[in-house]
Amino acid sequence: MRLFHNYHYIASMLLFCIGLYTVIVRRNIIKKLIGLNIMETSVFLFLISLGYLDGGIAPIGIGGADPSRMVNPLPQALILTGIVVAVSVTALALALVILLYRQYGTLDVDRLFRDEETGGEEGEEKGETA
Amino acid sequence: MISLVFIAALFALLLYVVANMPPMGDPDNPTNSSEVIERYLEKGGEETHADNVVTGIIINYRGYDTMGEVTVIFCALAAVLAVLGRERRGRIYAYVDRSRVPSSVIVRTMVALLVPFIILFSVYTILHGEISPGGGFQGGAIVGGSMIVFTTIFGLLESSQRIPQRLRFPLEGSAVITFFAVGALGLAGGGNFLTFAWPEIAGNLQPSLVVWLTVLVETGIGLGGAMVLISILFSMIREEEEIAVVP
Amino acid sequence: MGAYRHFPVFMVTVPLVCAVLLPFLGYLRQKWVPWAAMLPLAFSSVLGLLLIGKIPAEGYLGYELGGWPPPWGIELRVDRVGHFLMLIVCGITLLALAFSRRYISREVSGGRLTAYYVLFLLMSGAMLGFVATGDVFNLFVFMEILALSSYALVAITGNRNAVRAAFKYVLMGAPSSIMVLLAIGFIYSATGTLNMADLTLRIADSRYSEVLIVAYILFVIGFGVKAALFPLHMWLPDAHSIAPSPISALLSGLLVEVSTFAIFRITFSVFSMGSSGLFASTLDAVGIFAAAAVLYGGIMAILQKDLKMMIAYSTVSHIGYIFLGITAMTAEGLTGAMYHMLDHGLAKACLFLCAGNFIFVKGYRRIEDLKGAWRQMPWTCFAFALASISVVAIPPTAGFISKWYLILGNIKGGNYAYVVVLLVGAILAAVYCFRIIYYMFFQPGKEGAWEGESRDAAPSMLAPVWVLSLGTLFFGILSYLLIPSLLDAMNFLL
Repeated sequence: MRLFHNYHYIASMLLFCIGLYTVIVRRNIIKKLIGLNIMETSVFLFLISLGYLDGGIAPIGIGGADPSRMVNPLPQALILTGIVVAVSVTALALALVILLYRQYGTLDVDRLFRDEETGGEEGEEKGETA
Repeated sequence: MISLVFIAALFALLLYVVANMPPMGDPDNPTNSSEVIERYLEKGGEETHADNVVTGIIINYRGYDTMGEVTVIFCALAAVLAVLGRERRGRIYAYVDRSRVPSSVIVRTMVALLVPFIILFSVYTILHGEISPGGGFQGGAIVGGSMIVFTTIFGLLESSQRIPQRLRFPLEGSAVITFFAVGALGLAGGGNFLTFAWPEIAGNLQPSLVVWLTVLVETGIGLGGAMVLISILFSMIREEEEIAVVP
Repeated sequence: MGAYRHFPVFMVTVPLVCAVLLPFLGYLRQKWVPWAAMLPLAFSSVLGLLLIGKIPAEGYLGYELGGWPPPWGIELRVDRVGHFLMLIVCGITLLALAFSRRYISREVSGGRLTAYYVLFLLMSGAMLGFVATGDVFNLFVFMEILALSSYALVAITGNRNAVRAAFKYVLMGAPSSIMVLLAIGFIYSATGTLNMADLTLRIADSRYSEVLIVAYILFVIGFGVKAALFPLHMWLPDAHSIAPSPISALLSGLLVEVSTFAIFRITFSVFSMGSSGLFASTLDAVGIFAAAAVLYGGIMAILQKDLKMMIAYSTVSHIGYIFLGITAMTAEGLTGAMYHMLDHGLAKACLFLCAGNFIFVKGYRRIEDLKGAWRQMPWTCFAFALASISVVAIPPTAGFISKWYLILGNIKGGNYAYVVVLLVGAILAAVYCFRIIYYMFFQPGKEGAWEGESRDAAPSMLAPVWVLSLGTLFFGILSYLLIPSLLDAMNFLL
């Protein structure tokens, strides 16, 4: 049964959905960012599993290692790039969260976007913690 | 509730995809059997002079991706600084006055002892990686991590004196600049942008030349990455202090 | 092969590297930064102009980075359509940058000013790379530079609404990027390659069509968020209306279009259509959403009270137009879509910069406040009117040409319902544009609203606006210069 043979993929899809659910449903923006990171990690897991080879060895050509038994090195290289990108996005998002918290005094999206319709100038919410 | 249904539907769709995917780990599936991988694995050593094929791909075969990647991390720094601004002297003193972490002598001594070794390890990672040069990002991240530990224990004042702004500022862009310089060097050798190999000119020195260029690029990436991470950390900590002041 | 084969890589890389070098200049001579920032973009524009007519007969100019042949290394691949879009990107970024010099120094100061120009250059270079690249993973990398810099540029004023809009943008943009990465993983799993040209061949005889279809859907959703296709447009009105005006011009005039171009590229260059009926039905679904976008955007634009908000909703509507051209699947429709990218880029950038002029000179953001504006700011008002005419699609302008081809393409494709939608969309555009023109020229202003010392905006802010608005006229009258070669390129694709 192919579905169960690909259990790595199932795990990463599950993580992807958990992450997306967290991003959509959670009201705390830090938790949303955690969800975002779960999504990213799930895709990394997925891509790394793509390069797996049954009984494979690390793609390091030293000591006469057999190239035909090496795992696929390309996804590993891609994921290195992917991780850096994920870190960068997280850094920027956290910087925005810091600024948001300083200006609105809350981390709750409902509170953040509540006064959106009225233009947002009134309704100082300092002092409330999330 | 609607979102739960939506996510469940998405999960079902993705499971359907997984069920139709090539089997994992099978040497005959498209990812493992294409000629792309064969060349990487069989000729990667000779063509890129890197024993670790992953390093060969990152620096050589797909070097432009890595150049984009170092630009992304520089962009993250520019973005964080645009949003939060750099740390400043006066603020740093304020931070130390209000909320110095009262850590015990044991912790302070241990951290002070460990940090040099962590940094040494990062140099090892950059220069030796797994068997061959490689791992600039990992090394940079390790330096960044060591500074996070140091800053948590000793405070921003202490650590920003160790790595002052005037040291970080010129090094932040070093990754992109080295990459561009090496790329342009390839152009000067008659190849395309980012070509590391110029057999006509280098002759017998070719292998060691490529290795040294790799080391140069990796060092640039490591230094740049470390400085970017430290600058982002310092910039965020300053803001942290301001939040704490809000009654 | 002359030296020009190196041009694409320098068009992309030089702005990115100069962005990294700019802080040093900012440290030494802050005053020179705005001027220095223009240099790399001018350089790219010159290279882009020199490339005209140099695209080889096989339809594209390929560049193997590092000298590795395509499936192994990364390839830049500039075809006629990509070159056309790269020229648009160069031109509009250069004009928006020229406009920024005066405008932004009032909203942003100190170290942030340098950061603004750094991010601006990163964004321009990333857009060029995004269009030029021929590798799907490289596309993702450039998309991330583009996304990161645009998030930060929306928030750059540090104003609380701006930060909130930027965060909303991040919350929609970041998951969409991850979806694109997942889609890249899917097509990689089914084909084992990342190069677009190689993918086309392998997708044609792949055994894993289910995987590919879901990958395609994820691509459309992922880039659809960036392109603000109708149900995924929620971030756009906030971000575009709150960002500083030159940034709004870039976001609205270029970023959404470049993302649309990515969908175009994925659809026609990578999946090359036709391998399965399911792709066609996905595209049909996109067409329905696009039609909804045209109507929704138009109606919401009529309801707005804030000028920039109105222009932002008009963008939602016009993205629908471009998608309707793509989904028509005829050479005329695709030509219309491409020409609409040009027209929309010029007209929207012009409208946002005009709005910037109103904000800069008088601080007026509301449509009501524009009554009688022409007496004090005639030049801005006339440029605004010219760009609006192009948005509404009245004959001598580029907007008319593009919509003509969009309608022609949809008639040829047999989608008569979409023809009606396009016409209704034009009527809606007429309503929201002519209302403002009527306010500006034929209504008396409020007491004291348009008096005082300040006259029209400074020449350095009027020049970009006028270049853009005359551009819509120019490309309308001289459309016969471009349309035949675009039609050729599209026939080649289909």
